[in-house]
Amino acid sequence: MVAFPPVFGMSAAVVGLATIVAPLAAFLLLGLLRPLRATGTPAAAVAIVAALVSTACAFALVFAGAPREAVADLTVPWLVSAGQTWATLGVYLDATSVPMLAVVTLVGLCVQVYSLGYLHDEPKESFGRYYAFHSLFLVAMLLLVVAKDLLQLFVGWELVGLASYLLIGFWWQKPSAARAAVKAFWLTKLADIGLGAAIVVLYVQTHALDWSPATVQALGPAGATLVAALLFVAVMGKSAQFPLHVWLPDAMEGPTPVSALLHAATMVAAGVYLLVRAWPIFDAAPDVRLAMAWIGAFTGLFASVVACAQTDIKKVLAYSTCAQLGYMVAAAGAGAIDAAYAHLIGHAAFKALLFLGAGCLIHAVHSNELADMGGLLRRLKFSGGAFIVGALALGLYPSKELVLAGVGHAGLQGPLVLLLAAAGLTAFYMTRSVLLALFGPASAHADHAHEAPASMLAPVLLLALLSVAGFALFDSVAPVLVAVRERPHSWLGHIAHGLALAGFAVGFALYGPRRRDALALPGVRAGLAFVRAAAVDRAFQAAYRMGLLAFSRSVAWVDRYLIDGVMNLSAFASQSGAERARRIQTGKTYDYLTAVVAGLLLLAVASVYAR
Amino acid sequence: MDTALTQAWLQLDPSHGFPLLTALVLMPTLFALIGVTIPGSLQWAHKALSLVGSLVTFGLGMVVWALTDTARAGLQLTDDSSWIPSIGARWTLAIDGLSLPYVLLTVFLTPLVFVGAWSAIDKKWKEFAIALLVLETGMLGSLVAVDLLAFYVFWEVMLVPMYLIIGIWGGRDKVYATLKFFLYTMFGSLLMLVAIVWMYLHAGNTFQLGAWTQLDLTETQQHWLFAAFALAFLIKVPVFPFHTWLPDAHTEAPTPGSVILAGVLLKLGTYGLLRFAIPLFPAALGWASPVLLALAVIGIVYGAMMAYVQTDVKRLVAYSSVSHLGFVMLGIVAFNEEALQGAILQGVNHGLSTGALFLLVGFLYERRHTREIADFGGIAKRMPVFAAFFVFVTMSSIALPLTNGFVGEFLIFAGAFKEGVRSSMAAGEGTSWRTMMLVGTGIATSGIVLGAVYMLSVVRRVFFGPMTNPDNEGLHDLTGRERLLMGALCVFIVWIGVAPGRWLGMSEATVHAMVQPLRPAILQVRAPADFRREQLLNADARAE
Repeated sequence: MVAFPPVFGMSAAVVGLATIVAPLAAFLLLGLLRPLRATGTPAAAVAIVAALVSTACAFALVFAGAPREAVADLTVPWLVSAGQTWATLGVYLDATSVPMLAVVTLVGLCVQVYSLGYLHDEPKESFGRYYAFHSLFLVAMLLLVVAKDLLQLFVGWELVGLASYLLIGFWWQKPSAARAAVKAFWLTKLADIGLGAAIVVLYVQTHALDWSPATVQALGPAGATLVAALLFVAVMGKSAQFPLHVWLPDAMEGPTPVSALLHAATMVAAGVYLLVRAWPIFDAAPDVRLAMAWIGAFTGLFASVVACAQTDIKKVLAYSTCAQLGYMVAAAGAGAIDAAYAHLIGHAAFKALLFLGAGCLIHAVHSNELADMGGLLRRLKFSGGAFIVGALALGLYPSKELVLAGVGHAGLQGPLVLLLAAAGLTAFYMTRSVLLALFGPASAHADHAHEAPASMLAPVLLLALLSVAGFALFDSVAPVLVAVRERPHSWLGHIAHGLALAGFAVGFALYGPRRRDALALPGVRAGLAFVRAAAVDRAFQAAYRMGLLAFSRSVAWVDRYLIDGVMNLSAFASQSGAERARRIQTGKTYDYLTAVVAGLLLLAVASVYAR
Repeated sequence: MDTALTQAWLQLDPSHGFPLLTALVLMPTLFALIGVTIPGSLQWAHKALSLVGSLVTFGLGMVVWALTDTARAGLQLTDDSSWIPSIGARWTLAIDGLSLPYVLLTVFLTPLVFVGAWSAIDKKWKEFAIALLVLETGMLGSLVAVDLLAFYVFWEVMLVPMYLIIGIWGGRDKVYATLKFFLYTMFGSLLMLVAIVWMYLHAGNTFQLGAWTQLDLTETQQHWLFAAFALAFLIKVPVFPFHTWLPDAHTEAPTPGSVILAGVLLKLGTYGLLRFAIPLFPAALGWASPVLLALAVIGIVYGAMMAYVQTDVKRLVAYSSVSHLGFVMLGIVAFNEEALQGAILQGVNHGLSTGALFLLVGFLYERRHTREIADFGGIAKRMPVFAAFFVFVTMSSIALPLTNGFVGEFLIFAGAFKEGVRSSMAAGEGTSWRTMMLVGTGIATSGIVLGAVYMLSVVRRVFFGPMTNPDNEGLHDLTGRERLLMGALCVFIVWIGVAPGRWLGMSEATVHAMVQPLRPAILQVRAPADFRREQLLNADARAE
């Protein structure tokens, strides 16, 4: 095992631990000290300083110049039975976890700074609460990232779910937000059963919860397929893959910075991170991978189509996130795990940029609707420009080619076609959003729109810069960061670019200078019809809940009238029986004598027969 | 089949000097007796006295904890003396890793309940304090008695104070609820009494648990006796379909009654199974396993669904108990080390989290005198701290990792799955028992999701959304006393969740020693092929 070089003169694992301890301290301070939490901005400062420390540590680890095989392990036995440690708690740094650490902390920091401006109208108390939840999220997500085995990963996994629940429901007075929070929790919890069950199976079969080749060996092919399938169920829930994606668009009820951090850049990517992290298990389960490729590719196309017909800018981005996660899942399914990871990291940067940029637009017009925007670029030069950068990155990002090449290389023609179509659609719907929001005639709201404050612009511009840098330096950075194979200069890349350009062109033709009524266009109409078809799974949901409710009600009827009824009936029967039996005691000598004589006679007869 | 087993885990240590367990068990009653002499008009005196009494008992509990060597199995700290010589009944109290967690839970919860009762109980404080103190003696006695007559006496001692607590301080339909509670429990315990008398006559003048395990019983005898014992315990747990007394009792009971009922009394059912019914008649568990498994799984799903449709928060929590104890029963039926450790721990977890939920519901009831979910909505605005505690305890109840519930549930599922799979993957001669176990475990997992469904839905409906009911405007947040109570419970929720080692270690040795003799006896009946295979494996291991 190659040791990780020291960072800041300390062991790398300690620095890794510091990335978690800093937000944990902030969370405990803000969570337990109500007076501090109620101060508002100072409370936010505590959280931001912690996030800054975290980010600094994470980047120090990235730039430590560690060889790819380097590992830093600072874990303590957590669960021990019969002298055998089967779960550990601590920090495990390697070439997989370190880049993710940097992504999570940096986006987290950007979002926390951004929120200073975005939520400055909130009451102080809830402002402090918001930052406490953000710190909790960072702790949970980082726990997940540095986990050495599935149990700690599961802990982080569930805690990010909790943080997501709390942050989607941040405006809990709004019934729709409260419902969306609960819905997200339920659906991901349903999928998490897969992860829990996978852990149970691993524990029972191998008594180890890690993803080392030795564990996979001990599982055997059938076991690996079972575990991989169970894990993938959890991935589908967390990373919003069809048909478990329905919670993600609703999650946009949360504040926009939350959407950027949790529901675009980091938390939803946790599912893909699990694929990367536990790759040896998936690698040993080709059947599961085939399903992954198809589901990912289908989600990619499906969500892209739906995104074309959205009128809410956040919903466009939410479906786009589903689609991009589909790319990553499909890449993993094709065995191109490095492409999946590269796309995860790139996507984190430009999707956070898009969401935060969209937040600036929303902030300016106080509406999520594209129809309320329009002509905003004139007034919002910086944030509008940044949004365009994000849109271009989403359409053309190099890691997409890697994904397509991986899927093509694996000979998965079907998924490849779906993903190529999605690539064209992506360019189309982003062009549409950009043109509708930033160009064209100014809406009524756009007149008094003003540029976002510096606290919001700075993170947006930083992310824009990073997106551009990632774009320009992709070929030199990606191999170092995630060890991607060389970008293949195949015909696939050209086709993808061609399709993207076609998408841009069609978008421009439809929504450009000669802006037409979008809803009257045949393509959009078809898209809307498709959305209604997509509403099928929402109908599924409703039916499920109705079914559950109706079934539960009938169970309740059984409980009340059948089970309890039998009990009450027997009580009533014994009571009335006793009432009748009481009448035997008449108190008359004559009756008793009769009974005695009858009894004697009976005994006499019985004794004769018994003989 | 009917050969007696050597059960080292029931080996009694020789009696030692100071009768510590006797002191522990009788301490609450001693304070109750002092309370009798103080006039009822001095309410504060009774509040103080009962708190001191329960705290002294808590202190003794800590001493017991310190002196119990949980690294080894066997009944320890024995107090054994002649009690009723004419019938051979002995005063035998002892503790081991099976009873210690529940003893600790009891001595921990009782002071909290007394403090919680300061506002929950508004009349006849003297009588209330006496009843609850006597109840504590009954609970502790049931947990440490290993002479069956003494156990039965303590078991019945619990019944009367609980009856009074519901009947005097209860809600509207208290008479119906108490009668139901009493008749249900009495019905079960009378059958158990019959079985105890039968065993006593069969064993010849002794009520000692250790001696009873040495008896040779035929298969039929085991079945009948197990049924009689188990019924008493299953009603107490309560296992579907013997559960209908529970929602009524909980709804009508005052908060302290509910907390004790859910926190400790229900656990005595599962404890009784593990301490008495199964060790005495292990083969009968093998025989009854399919039925018990089915009832446990039905209970999990059924309780959750019932909870989902309740309109009264307290009834909802009561039905959630049925679901949670279904998990505990699943662990007991699986009967391997993981499952049993999980089941024992989950009993404690349920005591903490459901106890906390009942306290919280009680706080709300004291303020608004209603528990209807529809009467609330958006009250997080007025009661943010209350809402925070409620959400926290909800997370424990739905077994979020790093809370106590997760550790217990995980071990139960691991054990249950192991029981199904260990069997089905290896030998090739698959038995129906394995399939049942696998299917049952699979269905039981839905209970996890359903738990999130009903708990989060009640949280949403009570705390979130706009505040529509003007009656809720006047709500005030938790007082310092109430925060202290919740804080104490939450510390344990986190402690067990983050560092379960100590809590699992408490029962590890005992469970290990308990499984050794009992598991083969159970397997022999319910999965003979597995039994033979395990014997072969053990033989191989010895040969190496």
